[in-house]
Amino acid sequence: MNIRLDPRTKLYMILVVSAVVMMSATTPLLWSVRIIITLVPIVLLIAEKRYASTFRFFALYITALVLTFCFLSEESTGIIQSLLTGYCGIIAQFLPAMITAWYVIRTTKIDEFVSAMQKMHIPDGITISLAVVMRFFPTIKEEYCSIRDAMKMRGITLGGGSIVKMIEYRMIPLLFSCVSIGDELSAAAITKGLGGKVKRTSVAVLKLSAADIMLLSGFTAAAAVFVIFKYFI
Amino acid sequence: MMNSMIEINNVSFRYKGSDEGLLQDFSLSVKKGEVILLCGASGSGKTTVIRLINGLIPHYYPGELEGDIHVAGHDIKETELYELAGVVGTVFQNPRSQFFSVDTDGEIVFGPENIGLAPDEIIRRKQEVVEEMNIETLLGKSLFELSGGEKQKIACASVSALLPDIILLDEPSANLDQTATADLRKTIIKWKKQGKTIIISEHRLWYLRDIANRVICMENGKIKNEWKGKAFSGLRAESIRNLRLRPLTVDNPFFERTNELTVPDIPDEDAIILENFFFTYRHIPYLFFRKKLTQADSDILSLNIPRLKLPKGCVIGIVGRNGTGKSTFLRCICGLEKTCPGVIISDGKAYKGKSRTDYCYMVMQDVNHQLFTDSVMSEVLLSMKEKDEQACEDILEKLGLFPFKDKHPMALSGGQKQRVAIASAVAAGAKLLLFDEPTSGLDLSHMEKVGQLLTDLSKTGSTVLVSTHDPELIEQCCDYILCIDKGQVGYYRVKEFCMCR
Repeated sequence: MNIRLDPRTKLYMILVVSAVVMMSATTPLLWSVRIIITLVPIVLLIAEKRYASTFRFFALYITALVLTFCFLSEESTGIIQSLLTGYCGIIAQFLPAMITAWYVIRTTKIDEFVSAMQKMHIPDGITISLAVVMRFFPTIKEEYCSIRDAMKMRGITLGGGSIVKMIEYRMIPLLFSCVSIGDELSAAAITKGLGGKVKRTSVAVLKLSAADIMLLSGFTAAAAVFVIFKYFI
Repeated sequence: MMNSMIEINNVSFRYKGSDEGLLQDFSLSVKKGEVILLCGASGSGKTTVIRLINGLIPHYYPGELEGDIHVAGHDIKETELYELAGVVGTVFQNPRSQFFSVDTDGEIVFGPENIGLAPDEIIRRKQEVVEEMNIETLLGKSLFELSGGEKQKIACASVSALLPDIILLDEPSANLDQTATADLRKTIIKWKKQGKTIIISEHRLWYLRDIANRVICMENGKIKNEWKGKAFSGLRAESIRNLRLRPLTVDNPFFERTNELTVPDIPDEDAIILENFFFTYRHIPYLFFRKKLTQADSDILSLNIPRLKLPKGCVIGIVGRNGTGKSTFLRCICGLEKTCPGVIISDGKAYKGKSRTDYCYMVMQDVNHQLFTDSVMSEVLLSMKEKDEQACEDILEKLGLFPFKDKHPMALSGGQKQRVAIASAVAAGAKLLLFDEPTSGLDLSHMEKVGQLLTDLSKTGSTVLVSTHDPELIEQCCDYILCIDKGQVGYYRVKEFCMCR
């Protein structure tokens, strides 16, 4: 099974998932809306054959939910309870948004993204900066891994016991190499005509498919139900 | 005038914030369809010339520019960079920083999309380029999974898709192995047949033999010598050497595959013995304990070296194609790959797992990743278990770094940085030094310096393993040659005229 979504749907998905998940759910209805919404990225991840990440995320999320419903209430006190509240809050409120964003970055090609942004009439300045950020994630990861290897070899992974040093040793080479890569990258992109006055075209054909329309309306409905039942009823 | 594609007249240029002029009164005229090879030492101004033609100077790298430059009828000073996109195409040196997309398809169409061509036309051009360069198999892949040679092919395809009349290549072979370099030669020949004007700045000359119409040797921002292509190919090896250029021919016996496995006979006590070096990139699912890799897993092994003896105090060159496991081998030896069960035995002591990291030290290809502190001195002290300033100064003195001991490592030149990394390795007391392609993209003088350094290190008792694509380096300093082929030892032999101590 292969679902190919339009980047616009994906962006909308990030927006709705993070909004709904961040607002606190108080009634069983709100909780169910929230859980259903969280299931969408899970299903999409399964469709992408990312079974391991799906399983990890699912396990964490279920644990957080079970803990919230069985062991925590508004009257909970004590250190363990407060730690648990923190854990459940982070997992249940941040993780769904993070996993959605991760899915989107993993599955969106940069030119698709750029042409989607153009179709929504977002200014080029914003589009290109966001595209560069997306382009840069894998680069940062690569650079970070080689720096970590170098640190292992020097035996300074723990920064000689000082947290400041630990961060310094990682960040300084990382910044140096990112700056120089960024500089070369923009020089190369400019020689290929990026940033010209000509309107950019794209070979990525964007069309909202049935799946897109279903998801778009589904998300809108879910968001509407959530907001109406939370604030107006 | 129509006949002349590039006119550079009396140009002098100085980068902003730099005292030294990089080009002085430089003039060059290039006819349509000519192929020009620019050679000369690092810092002689080759890259600056390339940047003048593609307009990055003065529009992206500002500085003081005198004289005028006309490229295909455009006055560079007055032309915006994006107007040059369909006129001049550039292939850069570093494959990891010249891609805007993360996938191959997107990169090929990136240029045409920027100049606003109609989607049908872009797709037509893409198909044309893909067929022309035989890269069907690379389509639909992530650029981060490709080898250096494959990346450079995509870079060429992406430049080609813009159909520029002028193509510039700035040290395009620096990170390529022999086969990929030979492929690059084919691409350039294709472009030449299409009548494109091509300018190549390069240290490695053998693969451009008989392609260039004119060869220009630069020194200190000026043209030092100029030859017709034929005359240059006819130069004798000594004259090339005297010009401080890398050789024109490599009739290298080192990279040939031989089927005989003549393992050098080294007595156990004079050797570092590597045992059980197995490694796989395949992810093997496990519950609690990872199964130890053994020789029985040979179907899935990316590295399969059951036993190998390294002679102490020698320089051993590791050769082999890109992606056959040279770097993996080095990473396993120094303990960076945790799942590799390899053991290093030396003087009756066995080093396993993490202790391998204390015994070895790898100088990475990009040394910027392994310099962490704010001065050369503290960089070296960081490696010492017992901080000893005197010993540290001795090491710096030996490596010619003493005058820079208070400088910031990032402010040094590439070669100096490499020496700082070596100094920390020596300070850490590593007995086995590993170098991952230390000479890629270096000119002859710098390469000889590295070779000398490796020889010196081996004379002081360290054992040096160096992976390389440069036959010149092997010729100069290696005592043994080890060829890795598909993760196994292809051959292993003493270099002829062995000078091993």
